[in-house]
Amino acid sequence: MLKLDGINVFYDQSQALYDVSLQVEQGEFVSIIGANGAGKTTIMKTVMGLIKPAQGRIFFEGKDIIKRPSWDRAGMRIGYIPEGRRVFPDLSVEDNLLMGAYHSKNNVEIAKTMKEVYDVFTRLGERKNQLAKTMSGGEQQMLAIGRALMTKPKLLLIDEISMGLMPLLVNKAFSVIKEMNNQGITILMVEQNAKKALAVADRGCVLEMGQIVHQDLAENLQDNDSIRKAYLGG
Amino acid sequence: MFLQQLINGIVIGSVYALTAMGATLVYGIMRILDINNAGAYALGAYVGLLTYNTTGSLLLTFIVGMLLTGLYGVLVQKLLYVPMLDKSPNVSLIASIGLFIFLSDLIRMVAGPSIKGFHAEVPFSSIYTDSLNINGAWILIIVTTFLLLAVLWFLLNKTKIGLAWKATAQDLETAKAMGVNVNMMVALNYLLGYGFAAAAGIMVGILYSSVFPTMGDVPAYKMLAIIVLGGLGSPVGTVIAAMVIGLAETLIGGYIGFFLPRDAIAFVVLIIILLFRPRGLISKN
Repeated sequence: MLKLDGINVFYDQSQALYDVSLQVEQGEFVSIIGANGAGKTTIMKTVMGLIKPAQGRIFFEGKDIIKRPSWDRAGMRIGYIPEGRRVFPDLSVEDNLLMGAYHSKNNVEIAKTMKEVYDVFTRLGERKNQLAKTMSGGEQQMLAIGRALMTKPKLLLIDEISMGLMPLLVNKAFSVIKEMNNQGITILMVEQNAKKALAVADRGCVLEMGQIVHQDLAENLQDNDSIRKAYLGG
Repeated sequence: MFLQQLINGIVIGSVYALTAMGATLVYGIMRILDINNAGAYALGAYVGLLTYNTTGSLLLTFIVGMLLTGLYGVLVQKLLYVPMLDKSPNVSLIASIGLFIFLSDLIRMVAGPSIKGFHAEVPFSSIYTDSLNINGAWILIIVTTFLLLAVLWFLLNKTKIGLAWKATAQDLETAKAMGVNVNMMVALNYLLGYGFAAAAGIMVGILYSSVFPTMGDVPAYKMLAIIVLGGLGSPVGTVIAAMVIGLAETLIGGYIGFFLPRDAIAFVVLIIILLFRPRGLISKN
């Protein structure tokens, strides 16, 4: 479904990604783990079209999308939960959700999806007219997830969903996205919390200094000694 | 007397609001100050005059003047500002000042340096009573400004495009990722903003029955005062700030008298208000 082929990304003079290639199959859940500054967010932004790679190609459903702007990629139903939530602070909860469905002209479908989102996150329904900035961090993360659900994504990109959440909410967030995956949404996630990220994923990649150094089934990575030491706390 | 000054102030405030609105919209999304927005004021007045002299229709004068000037804005954005987007905002600021000077000299070269008469028939008759003196052109200005601002308000608050505009102003990158064609948003900004400034230029041309190449100079720097006062990027703030400046000019000028030229009042007001509200009248935080 998604294929990255030899992606090189530079910020000014310094290189952030080195020849990154990876593939995500239809229905798969792939987690990329790695330390701060390894280039995880850069991969997400590159797939979303927010960063232009110097070299490399990106295929989505067989089509080369490297030249397509971000908004086209959203229209192809690539959903995105950005790092740090990035909800629109001065829009209401409902308007934030509507932005997730911006590419869709099907108002019936939008209303139906919104109802589904409110069913999953009752808190959002209770606060639909409230400005996003007035909500707690956890609620904002739920909103960011709900907004991505509104996209009706075929592929969902998730950047550090656990960041700044208390453990209870981390579990809730992971169970929601696992459920989305069970319903057929393909997921590519980058995550610092390697333990949780590998527990929910089918496959994992390890990113170090902008390079993918391991790719394997999630359970094999969990059993791998060196990865246990470096990322899973022994 | 007070009512008279009040109406004067609203008329002047209306013109300022229309002129500054484009710069506010542009700043809201792109975070650059576009001085050339005031160039659209002069350009619009000239295009309007030409249209009026050719067709004799006031409605066409507005439509053609606003549309052509708006398209000029889109062109400027595509050719000049887009390539500078990843540079410091100062680069665009300097470029917009350069373009503003270039445009006013271009008008001088094409249309001549002298003042041209703009004698348009206004569909509103003037009202004269003992205490009140309302020019038909003033009514035209107030009515047109109200209509245009109402259209803008509707667009921003009641349509999907407006929602996308607000989202883009709050977080451009995320708006892109949600599917907003940001280039189109910016183009729309320029189309509307330059169009509004053109309407202001046309109406001032009609009010004073004249246009001249440097007529955008004073609006250019007042526009700056107004968008800063309005809280940089807030359309509502801009309208309020424009009215405050317009009223301050007429009321202070009319009642108290002022030791400096009337055009300096805008900046005195700006300085005083910023002392107490450093983020402008309507601040986001």
